[in-house]
Amino acid sequence: MLKRILSLIISALLITGLFAGCGEKEQMDKKLKVAALSSGYEETMPGMWQEICDAFEKATGIKTELTLEKNLEDVIGASMQGGDYPDVVLLATGREAGLTEQLIKDKNLTELTDVLDMTIPGENVKVKDKLSGGFTESVATNPYGDGKTYLMPMFYSPCGLFYNKGLFKEKGWEVPETWDEMWALGEKAKAENIALFTYPTTGYFDSFFFSLMYAVGGPEFFDKVTNYEKGVWETEEGKTFIDIVTKLASYTNKKTPSQANDQDFSKNQLMVMQNEALFMPNGTWVVGEMADAVAADGFEWGMTALPAVAAGGDSYAYTWMEQIWVPKGAKNQKDAKTFISYMYSDEAAGIFAKRNAVQPIKDVSKLLSEDNKLFYSVYENGAKAAIGNFAAYKSVAGLGNPADYFFAPINSLVSGNITKEQYVNDIIKATDKMRENLINK
Amino acid sequence: MKKHKRQNSFIALCVAPATLLFFIFMVYPTIDVFRMSFFERGAYSPTENYVGLQNFGVLIKDTRFIVACQNTIFLIVAVTIVTFALALFFAACLTREKVRGNSIFRVVFYIPNILSVVVISGVFSAIYDTKNGLLNSLLSIFSGKAVSVLWKSEELVVISIAIAMVWQAIGYYMVMYMASMSAVPESLYESAGLDGADKLTQFFNITLPLIWTNIRTTLTFFIISTINMAFLFVKAMTSGGPNGASEVVLSFMYGQKDAGLYGYSMAAGVVIFLFSFALSALVNKATEREVLQY
Repeated sequence: MLKRILSLIISALLITGLFAGCGEKEQMDKKLKVAALSSGYEETMPGMWQEICDAFEKATGIKTELTLEKNLEDVIGASMQGGDYPDVVLLATGREAGLTEQLIKDKNLTELTDVLDMTIPGENVKVKDKLSGGFTESVATNPYGDGKTYLMPMFYSPCGLFYNKGLFKEKGWEVPETWDEMWALGEKAKAENIALFTYPTTGYFDSFFFSLMYAVGGPEFFDKVTNYEKGVWETEEGKTFIDIVTKLASYTNKKTPSQANDQDFSKNQLMVMQNEALFMPNGTWVVGEMADAVAADGFEWGMTALPAVAAGGDSYAYTWMEQIWVPKGAKNQKDAKTFISYMYSDEAAGIFAKRNAVQPIKDVSKLLSEDNKLFYSVYENGAKAAIGNFAAYKSVAGLGNPADYFFAPINSLVSGNITKEQYVNDIIKATDKMRENLINK
Repeated sequence: MKKHKRQNSFIALCVAPATLLFFIFMVYPTIDVFRMSFFERGAYSPTENYVGLQNFGVLIKDTRFIVACQNTIFLIVAVTIVTFALALFFAACLTREKVRGNSIFRVVFYIPNILSVVVISGVFSAIYDTKNGLLNSLLSIFSGKAVSVLWKSEELVVISIAIAMVWQAIGYYMVMYMASMSAVPESLYESAGLDGADKLTQFFNITLPLIWTNIRTTLTFFIISTINMAFLFVKAMTSGGPNGASEVVLSFMYGQKDAGLYGYSMAAGVVIFLFSFALSALVNKATEREVLQY
């Protein structure tokens, strides 16, 4: 008898436990689930996203639940596979795990064009009137090229070639404005045992390649390459482009490829600080990242746009930008859109700017720190902004990412294990397949 | 009779949870891997298309997969042979010889095994550093000129990973062999010594045959753990680079998932599964000997 009572009590407890769990879940569903990548901005001064969520709740009364992780893909990826989606996600394209790209390819994002017409909470301005020009016109935000926005622009940062200003002053060298001057400088540096070029990992070539495409043939050439157009590598521009890339590989510090991995990339960045290489492609975050490293005497960060191809030609600096988006499976899409519109409020931009995260809104320069003003002024000094990305294509077995064909082989070019012809042929073969599988032909 | 029946049902009840969990978390996912390898789907999209054997057809022609297979097989062979030889040697030294500081050596050899792979990759990042690395500095001292070997370059990267893996694995296997070696009766060595057998003959004719069962078991361990550990080492030390030169099968599989090819990645998984199964069976068969009693 006693046993029976005991088992009854236990099962009753178990059942109530089950229902308690359900109740909790229901309440969680009401909260807006925000998932954000904990990147360098958050790491340098933690609490940024919590501050944003608190301010958002104050402004709109919508409660939020924040997931903040360095390896966000691993955390939300698993639950997304199980059908449990966050409502709003800050995760840029171009990351190794490629979660955002996969959702783009599978058309699993909610259209956000209407967010542009929303009024920013607590202000009387529409989102589209507050955004700086040009940020919602590229594939980075309109991945299908149909004028519809699926990802909204967030923190942006100019990318360019970083160098040691102190060394240039000391040697009396000028920062090259054309590629011919660049090669001349390469010879001068070689005489002093300094390599012209290095790169942290080949992944950093994205900003470099996009800028170079613009510099070589303007927006038309950029569109041709990023849409994998047939015959583009036989054109004059295509040949110039490959020539510059391969020539630069021959001027690259030979140690670079063996250190171009996630473990040792900072050793490559250190080369620039210790005068073993002159230039590297990077973004403004490198300053904070390498703040504790031991640099050569008189070291000072400098950043320049990519040189022009011919004297008087345009020089470009790529604008690296993160994106915020709403997965199609999100339950709370209305609040998610409100949350995104809030990202462009003065209040939110101010919280972000404290960590040097810069929102693409008008008058943001007022919020910048002195260091950052210098970097962001690259566009005021004549460089044009390059923006965009490779067009999305359907995943095909055996066909990797554009990075596998455009960027990764540079390691082999530098070490001399492949020739220029092999490099181009592999690109042509791969882009033929990519073109066939373009999502929007 | 009744008691027997009750006992049986009690046993069934006891093993049920474990069996159930085993089926849910081991058998079902494994079968699902095989099923998914016939489909094409993204990791996050609910739709899947049946493509039959197409994934496998592409896989055997994929140069990246072939390079990954070559690297994996090289690591299995090289790491196994070297670890095996060194672990046996050190185990024999530490059990048979009276080495001063015996137990300290045992601890020192075992330490790498308790370190996480991330720590090990950090240690080896310093060892392999081109400019100030331990290895290059040592070579410079002995050769008398500045040596700058690029340990993580395309040519050497797989060997560099193999060295780190051997360093990590020796302690574990050494302790295993030491345990079985110390169980070999001292009298056998004594009589062999009286018959004039030297240390080497003793090792090959007494020690090795008597711990053979243990060696066979550890060989299977080697194969499975090398496949798994190679992934961890590659992920932490080189991210598969430069230009895919250090990719192994599991990192290839993982990378395909990130490229949005879940079915393709599962096809690679099936190949790895069958390969490691077959290899273990083969090794098991090839090393079959009459079990010696003592």
